[in-house]
Amino acid sequence: MVMKSSVEDNDTGWGLGIPEKMKNNANWVDITHEFKGSCKELNLGELLHDKLFGLFEAMSAIEMMDPKMDAGMIGNQVNRKVLNFEQAIKVGAIKVKDLSLPELIGIIDTCFCCLITWLEGHSLAQTVFTCLYVHNPDLIEEPALKAFALGMLKVCDIAREKVNKAAVFEEEDFQAMTYGFKMANNVTDLRVTGMLKDVEDELQKKVKVSSLDNFQSESLHFSEIERQCIFIHQQCLALFNRIKFTRLLLTALIAFTKKETSSVGEAQKLVAQAADLLSAIHSSIQHGIQSQNDTTKGDHPIMMGFEPLVNQRLLPPTFPRYAKIIKREDMVAYFSKLIERIKTVCDVINTTNLHGILDFFCEFSEQSPCVLSRSLLQTTFLIDNKKVFGTHLMQDMIKDALRYFVSPPVLSYKCCLFNNHQAKDYIDSFVTHCSRPFCSLIQIHGHNRARQRDKLGHILEEFATLQDEAEKVDAALHSLLMKLEPQRQHLACLGTWILYHNLRIMIQYLLSGFELELYSMHEYYYIYWYLSEFLYAWLMSTLSRADSSQMAEERILEEQLKGRSSKKTKKKKKVRPLSKEITMSQAYQNMCAGMYKTMVALDMDGKVRKPQFELDSEQVRYEHRFAPFNSVVTPPPVHYIQFKEMSDLKKYNPPPGSADLYLAASKHFQQAKLILENVPSPDPEVNRILKVAKPNIVVMKLLAGGHKKETKVLPEFDFSAHKYFPVVKII
Amino acid sequence: MATMIEENGPSIHESEVSSSSQARQKLEGLLNKNMRIRMTDGRTLVGLFLCTDRDCNVILGSAQEFLKSTDTFSQGEPRVLGLAMIPGHHVVSIEVEADSLDDTQGFGASH
Repeated sequence: MVMKSSVEDNDTGWGLGIPEKMKNNANWVDITHEFKGSCKELNLGELLHDKLFGLFEAMSAIEMMDPKMDAGMIGNQVNRKVLNFEQAIKVGAIKVKDLSLPELIGIIDTCFCCLITWLEGHSLAQTVFTCLYVHNPDLIEEPALKAFALGMLKVCDIAREKVNKAAVFEEEDFQAMTYGFKMANNVTDLRVTGMLKDVEDELQKKVKVSSLDNFQSESLHFSEIERQCIFIHQQCLALFNRIKFTRLLLTALIAFTKKETSSVGEAQKLVAQAADLLSAIHSSIQHGIQSQNDTTKGDHPIMMGFEPLVNQRLLPPTFPRYAKIIKREDMVAYFSKLIERIKTVCDVINTTNLHGILDFFCEFSEQSPCVLSRSLLQTTFLIDNKKVFGTHLMQDMIKDALRYFVSPPVLSYKCCLFNNHQAKDYIDSFVTHCSRPFCSLIQIHGHNRARQRDKLGHILEEFATLQDEAEKVDAALHSLLMKLEPQRQHLACLGTWILYHNLRIMIQYLLSGFELELYSMHEYYYIYWYLSEFLYAWLMSTLSRADSSQMAEERILEEQLKGRSSKKTKKKKKVRPLSKEITMSQAYQNMCAGMYKTMVALDMDGKVRKPQFELDSEQVRYEHRFAPFNSVVTPPPVHYIQFKEMSDLKKYNPPPGSADLYLAASKHFQQAKLILENVPSPDPEVNRILKVAKPNIVVMKLLAGGHKKETKVLPEFDFSAHKYFPVVKII
Repeated sequence: MATMIEENGPSIHESEVSSSSQARQKLEGLLNKNMRIRMTDGRTLVGLFLCTDRDCNVILGSAQEFLKSTDTFSQGEPRVLGLAMIPGHHVVSIEVEADSLDDTQGFGASH
């Protein structure tokens, strides 16, 4: 590919590279000298411009010759000819047949690296399509390479389709543009997998033939020929594994496009098989050819078949993003993580309850997964935006979730409301109205972490509307029920359920600010206050109301059963379904309360740096932090003045000092630790909180005892053990 | 760019007013004319002249980029840049379309 630019001198008549028509139509007059002279007459800092063009417009101009903004500059500075696929074949810079095994291995590995770089948010033009072979696989004569190039295009095409469909990406996650390249649309998926399989079989034969078993060497030392054979055997095997990996990856992605749930299990099996090949691929990387030029000067690595600048002119005039293709050594590790994520995604179909699914999405998102696995999860959950896992109606899922959470009488088979037409109409229309916001909520969890926060703030508006409706439906159902079965009631069932989700969203909104490092140290105290004194308090009362509503329903069922069969039902102590969540909320509340008191006490000791409020005030910041909560009716937002009144320490007599507060904080952490240590089967989250609670107990006790009271060094907050709660460090 | 202040900055002496106002007039006459600027790296930008300053930084609107003549690949096909600012020290030559010069006094015809 690297050629001297003087090889072809057919640029006569092109002048400045300006098309003929422009040259003919326009008569250009050189004004360089006068222009520059006139400019000098302008004052320093004076802009000469049209009335309609101001400084604001000027700011959006891209600056030429600035490497950060000028994409055209990069392509213009290399000292080699940039050839496209046809041109490269013509001048013999690229082979389309009789490629050696090391060449094939090298090209495939580089393609894999490009694929990964694309999946990590770069444009196709700067990654996969820097490989000239995928520009037009029809021109490739080498069967293995042709099948691979087609397979690669198909993988990209399906991945792109999935990501587009799931719509959980933003420009920082993914570039969907194909720049007019053909994604092997003229060949069917089946044909491509078939071609890959053929190549695979062919290679397997070669692997067997070249196998060492065919040599009956007695001595421990191999002859030169034998050594050569071993080498060829290893290379054949390396190529075989790569082709097979491509086929399995492609087949797995194809399985995800099918509508049946069973195909998800199939996909899981296929990616597991692909994962088995990875260690063999990793150990054979060195068999592939490497790039030929010196990359230490910051140049792109140039491999045969690759031209990083071939699409430079296709890039939009935005800031050029330098696509750094990942290293081959890191490729296998990325693939194995990707496959792990895809396997996890497949597990979602084993979750049946809507709350379980929501938790699944939250947990999955916490690992900050890649856009492809996030999208696959979305499209697996709602197939063609119709049915959950392609089988359940969203409305039924919501009804099940309601039954599980509050057991509303209207959804109980034993209740007269269950077959009442009017009641049915009420509940059905409510559930239908719930369906869209809940789908959106699940979709939000597919976005990247930073975008999620923003979107959670917005969806609160929709949930506020639902809350209003839920309360009205509850009231209507209650009055219906009072007429039919006066001994039962239908109070705040649906309302409790919506409130629960409201609170969860609000809590997540606030907590994610810690993860995203949005808050300053001096803001911690009101964020933690809001969480502990307000949101978690509300959440716990909501959960216990749901719990008692469940119990009431169970009692009625039991009584009805007893009435029918006089058999004594053995009283089994059942684990309350919501008990775990109530326990965890208590622990979180104690952690937040501990952090709140710590921050207030640190502030008293002058250990919190506060900004010089010039243009704003604490109130402005506070109101900004909680602004999305203003659309919520229940719980009502706590305004700054209210917060100041509620958190005023002067209402205590005597007002607590910093030592009292440290001690109180220590007790909260102690309490959290106690609660968590009694959790029957602790999950990783429990252990993570414990890792923060334990050291904080000690630090708070030390601080309460006046340890380093005089030091003016600010404390450090270490969020490495837990995203939301820091370990406080006094230096 | 952002540090620039709006026009009519510091006041100037009477004697300089005439020459500088003349220069300003000349430049204003060029506004919104099609302009062709060649840059130090050989590329040429064609676009509408929108803005300039004392250092001859030029902003072109709806700019198109043409590669230098030695580059054969995709030659002749311009790349659309939109709004582009060319730093003064990278401006090699400035040309303006002659047809549009008819109503402009001072430039081109005067020398």
